[in-house]
Amino acid sequence: MTDLSRRSFTKKSVLLSCLAALAPATPAMAMFDKVQKDPFLARDDLADALKSMYMTYDATYPYDHKFNESLVKDQLRNLEFSITKGINDKQLDHYIMTIEPILKRIKELVEKEGPEKALVELFDDEPCSYQLFENITVAEGERSFPCPYKSNLEHCKKWLKTFTIEWSDVCNKWCIPIWKRSADIIGIEIDVKTGETCSVRLQSPDTSS
Amino acid sequence: MDSNVKNNSGHTQMTTDSTVIDRRRFGRKLLAAGFVSSAVLLGKTEQARAWMDGTFSQRQDLPDAIRSIKKTYSDIDPYPHTFNDALVKNRLRDIDFIAGLGLDKENVEHYVYTLGFLINKYLKDGVEMGGKDVALWGMFERTSCSYQLYEHITIKEFERSFPCPFKPMLENLKKDPGTLKIQWKDVCKKWCIPVWTGFAERAGVKIKVKTGETCTVKVL
Repeated sequence: MTDLSRRSFTKKSVLLSCLAALAPATPAMAMFDKVQKDPFLARDDLADALKSMYMTYDATYPYDHKFNESLVKDQLRNLEFSITKGINDKQLDHYIMTIEPILKRIKELVEKEGPEKALVELFDDEPCSYQLFENITVAEGERSFPCPYKSNLEHCKKWLKTFTIEWSDVCNKWCIPIWKRSADIIGIEIDVKTGETCSVRLQSPDTSS
Repeated sequence: MDSNVKNNSGHTQMTTDSTVIDRRRFGRKLLAAGFVSSAVLLGKTEQARAWMDGTFSQRQDLPDAIRSIKKTYSDIDPYPHTFNDALVKNRLRDIDFIAGLGLDKENVEHYVYTLGFLINKYLKDGVEMGGKDVALWGMFERTSCSYQLYEHITIKEFERSFPCPFKPMLENLKKDPGTLKIQWKDVCKKWCIPVWTGFAERAGVKIKVKTGETCTVKVL
């Protein structure tokens, strides 16, 4: 009786070990994994981010401040300076020069995975995009987002009174050329529509002759 | 009563004076805060209210901000990204561009002129009424261009300090993609020090700057 119990115990142990080793990940195990491996949960500097966000979103007068406030203002100020000094073309050249190695890597990925990868790399997974655009709407072959510059430029003109560039300058002397030139290096063709909502769309093979 | 205090011994005088100064300072700060904040009612400093007005919980656009933070802080390859990532990169790229053309002085002057408009218009009065610390308040914890740039700001009276956001990012960018030519010292000398000094001058104060992994700005 005692021998039998020992044997059955051993058999059960072996069975359980086999089951545990062979069984596919259960939801509980996945959750365990998630908590351990999620990079966001592993960060210990989130408090700084939340404090900055709180300070930003608690500021609503004379206009609602947003997480991209300083970045947008910085880009507008840089553009204001370059246009005023007549060095906008050089600024665009310099911008493209600084990111060219990255664009060439994207070109390699596009050659392997297709042109959609270009939009993923330029918009969805690029901090300089997702920290700039308040939200990015993802559709196959197209990304669209609210223009962050229009309202911020209006605020700068109204409250600071030191900006002279127009919204159309931002579209024509910054956004459109950097998207188009980036697309050229990557080896894709895009259509750009600027406005309160901007969109960047891959040209279909039929229309990109 | 003040004259009686002045006739006392040095130690007592110092203690009493410091109490008087503290009260005076407190009064001046209250006055300045009142001026900077409530003068809105007089239509003088509407911009001053754009800070911590208690409306955070009413914002409808918080999900966008939270999504951006989630995406940023989940991105740890090739380095842990932080909320100021794009801003710091943008600033470094611009400093690199401008330094290459030798226009750094003009660029700083333009930056201080375009973004320092409110300092000239309102902060100078605030400093005159509330003391020199008001200048640092206006330059750092009061403005989104600072609290969205520096990961955190340590506040002491007459002094602000914060970790340099440019050093680690410049190191990262030099490794990959490796296209920026400026050095860390260029950022300190051609950007941070002249910009802070320019804003301080507009606010009517002088400052002493110590740059490094932690930067310190003291008002003199």
